[in-house]
Amino acid sequence: MSIGSTASLVEDKAAAGLRPGRLPGWMRKTARLLLGLAVTALLWEGSVQLFGIRPAYLPRLSAILAAMAATPRAYLDGFLRTLAETLIGFAAGGAFGVLIGIAFFRLRALREMIFPIFVVSQTIPVIAFGALVVLWFGNTLLAKAVIAFYLTFFPVTVNTLLGLETVDPKLVALMKSFGASNRQLLLRLQLPTALPHIFVALRLASSLSLVGAIVGEWFGDTTGIGVLLLQAMYTENVVALWGALLAAALLGTGFYAVVAAAERRLVFWSAEQ
Amino acid sequence: MSAALPSSSLAVQRGVLGAVLLVLCWEGLARGLHLPSYVLPAVSDILAGVWSKRALLSEAAGYTLLEALVGYGLGCLVGIGLAVAITMLPVLRTVILPAATAINAVPVVGYSPLILLWFGIGVVSKMVMVAMAVSFTVFLSTLAGLDRVDRRAVDLMRSFGAGRLSILWRLRLPTALPLLLAGMRVSTVRSVIIAIITEMLGAYGGLGWVIYQAVLQIDFVQVWSAIFVASAASLSFFGLIGLLERKILFWK
Repeated sequence: MSIGSTASLVEDKAAAGLRPGRLPGWMRKTARLLLGLAVTALLWEGSVQLFGIRPAYLPRLSAILAAMAATPRAYLDGFLRTLAETLIGFAAGGAFGVLIGIAFFRLRALREMIFPIFVVSQTIPVIAFGALVVLWFGNTLLAKAVIAFYLTFFPVTVNTLLGLETVDPKLVALMKSFGASNRQLLLRLQLPTALPHIFVALRLASSLSLVGAIVGEWFGDTTGIGVLLLQAMYTENVVALWGALLAAALLGTGFYAVVAAAERRLVFWSAEQ
Repeated sequence: MSAALPSSSLAVQRGVLGAVLLVLCWEGLARGLHLPSYVLPAVSDILAGVWSKRALLSEAAGYTLLEALVGYGLGCLVGIGLAVAITMLPVLRTVILPAATAINAVPVVGYSPLILLWFGIGVVSKMVMVAMAVSFTVFLSTLAGLDRVDRRAVDLMRSFGAGRLSILWRLRLPTALPLLLAGMRVSTVRSVIIAIITEMLGAYGGLGWVIYQAVLQIDFVQVWSAIFVASAASLSFFGLIGLLERKILFWK
């Protein structure tokens, strides 16, 4: 539990920094976001010019964007491929995490037997695990999704369990006294109470599943952001490397923002943020 | 805490039982179905592999741990330093926080090709990668801890004439300590994993390099041996920082 709960705390702060303030109207938010991006772009372009930073370290933003525009096909294909791997791994890991979290909550013996193994499984370097997964599943989209799944399920399990344990026992007793079944108890009280915690983990998992997908692609593939990164490294093409990094950043923040938006819709009562 | 570190003896017994069952199932599956080693080698074969390659594996583990420890130390220093700087000079917050978030937008492993190009394939590039990964986590948890201070306590200290430094030292840091140490504990496992991942892309030694070589040679007993050693290294690092945490936070 210790690993996940702190991670969620950390993630909370990251979200606070990432998300534009709670201003009325999505247009103001978008405007602020665009302004921030424009300022960053100007600073990047300006400082490279001003300090004469060598392109081997940091190329000009315009050069990177031009390189991306010259071969849009490779970046688009890579983006979509990595997106698919990330989404499948994330969905599977999220669902598995919530289900196992509920099972652990219901069956204490099961939890005490298996939870330590889960903790140890997280110390296995994903790269080593990835080598085996690619061997088991072949060099397929599925293999990458499995790696993303492996990184995703643990924080979700931990936070589901944590959230379910915050349920007020008096409320459970009250609902039971009105004859609520176990299923009603779960759907109407326990899961809604746990939902804020689950979403904290899902936000963390959104970043982790992308890591899994990218690392998975390093075992040999032909399309994907991870492939672009490796190819750029082998050819020492720093401009292409930064292009792949920008694509990864776009995918990462975009996915994160979608999960955070879903959270705001579904956990509308949460005072957090 | 209760789930990760079960306190009652029944929980410990069940945990041990779970581990034993897992090992027995694994061993039985691998032996009973005669699984080839590239699918799943038996646990006993892996342990034998660890023993027979102990010189190679311990050297690699030492190499990886050196990278992870130096990077970890650097990352903690940077993370704590930045968080303290922001608390002392709130003006910095508007600069450092967005910059840190922007850098963190790219998953940290994405930077490893770039860092390898910049710093070469020696130990330095791995230390930088580990430091980057660790510093962000430690930075955020320290900042969360420093911000958690009770306003009234700050006002009280100020009314007795305490300066910013003494408020930081006597109030904010002790208050932040539990979160800071929790962030440091979480980062231990990450630091070893990041070192190994970066080694795989290019290195002169280390567990990641051993794993990659073994994959290329299709020697899967050695892959698993290296995984076992890496896992043991991460767990002992995790345990060490956890122990330090309990010593420092004696009041918990």
